[in-house]
Amino acid sequence: MLAVVNFRPGGTCMSPANLSVIALLALIEWRFVFAGLRCRPWVRAIAPQQQRHNNLLEEDLRISDPRGVAVIAGNRLENNSDGLDSLDRKDRAKRYLRRIVALTGATKTDDAYVLDVGQMRFHVRDRYVRRLRDLTDPGCAYEETCFYPVHISMPKAEEIATALLQLTNNPALFDKWAVQNGLAFKADGQLFTCAH
Amino acid sequence: MKSRILAFSSHGDTTLLEYDPATADMEEVNKVIAEYEAKTGAQPFDMATGERLEKVTREQNEVLMVHPIAGG
Repeated sequence: MLAVVNFRPGGTCMSPANLSVIALLALIEWRFVFAGLRCRPWVRAIAPQQQRHNNLLEEDLRISDPRGVAVIAGNRLENNSDGLDSLDRKDRAKRYLRRIVALTGATKTDDAYVLDVGQMRFHVRDRYVRRLRDLTDPGCAYEETCFYPVHISMPKAEEIATALLQLTNNPALFDKWAVQNGLAFKADGQLFTCAH
Repeated sequence: MKSRILAFSSHGDTTLLEYDPATADMEEVNKVIAEYEAKTGAQPFDMATGERLEKVTREQNEVLMVHPIAGG
């Protein structure tokens, strides 16, 4: 900070104009310092969140030598901004579900998605699936079990989409889910444990 | 046009990997997929056909990693 000081014999003094300038500059500086102090807690609050997201992805994916041929989308989550509108997330999940319904040939009814695989018919809804083992057998009864994706709490539409894809490719998964022992199975029917 | 590997997550759909299928080292891509499967149990599905893939090739533009499901 600069100030003009008038020297007089027997002492020093500042002109009133200079004192005003000094006071003004001091006020401005104080305002910046105060504003900085107020902002810091927000910065501290946001930084760990970003770090947490980064760590999650870094834990999931590590490329030892990308060599520019396969580029990790570098912690870029399409739907992972903290200000994400959850409605947008749900809309995107529903769009994926519609795509997968079309891919698998399933049809939507009032309360479920109906999927035919060979002679089997599945009714898939939120965390529940029913199976009719043989469509051609009029005496065949429905069996029902529940399912849930491990690891993550994904939007409901994506849970249903996941089940539709898995059952289309491997309808025998129903029997594994029906045991209801909490064990998780990969799409190919192999048991998955965290030890993997 | 870039190809991508994505997964469903609690954040909605998440792009795990993007690459140029014309020039990418597909062994490297499959290595990343194998590492992801080892940690999460998710397996790759072709979003064009809905079929599970043993290996991702240059033909797939969009691959969804499908997570395991448990009953109970």
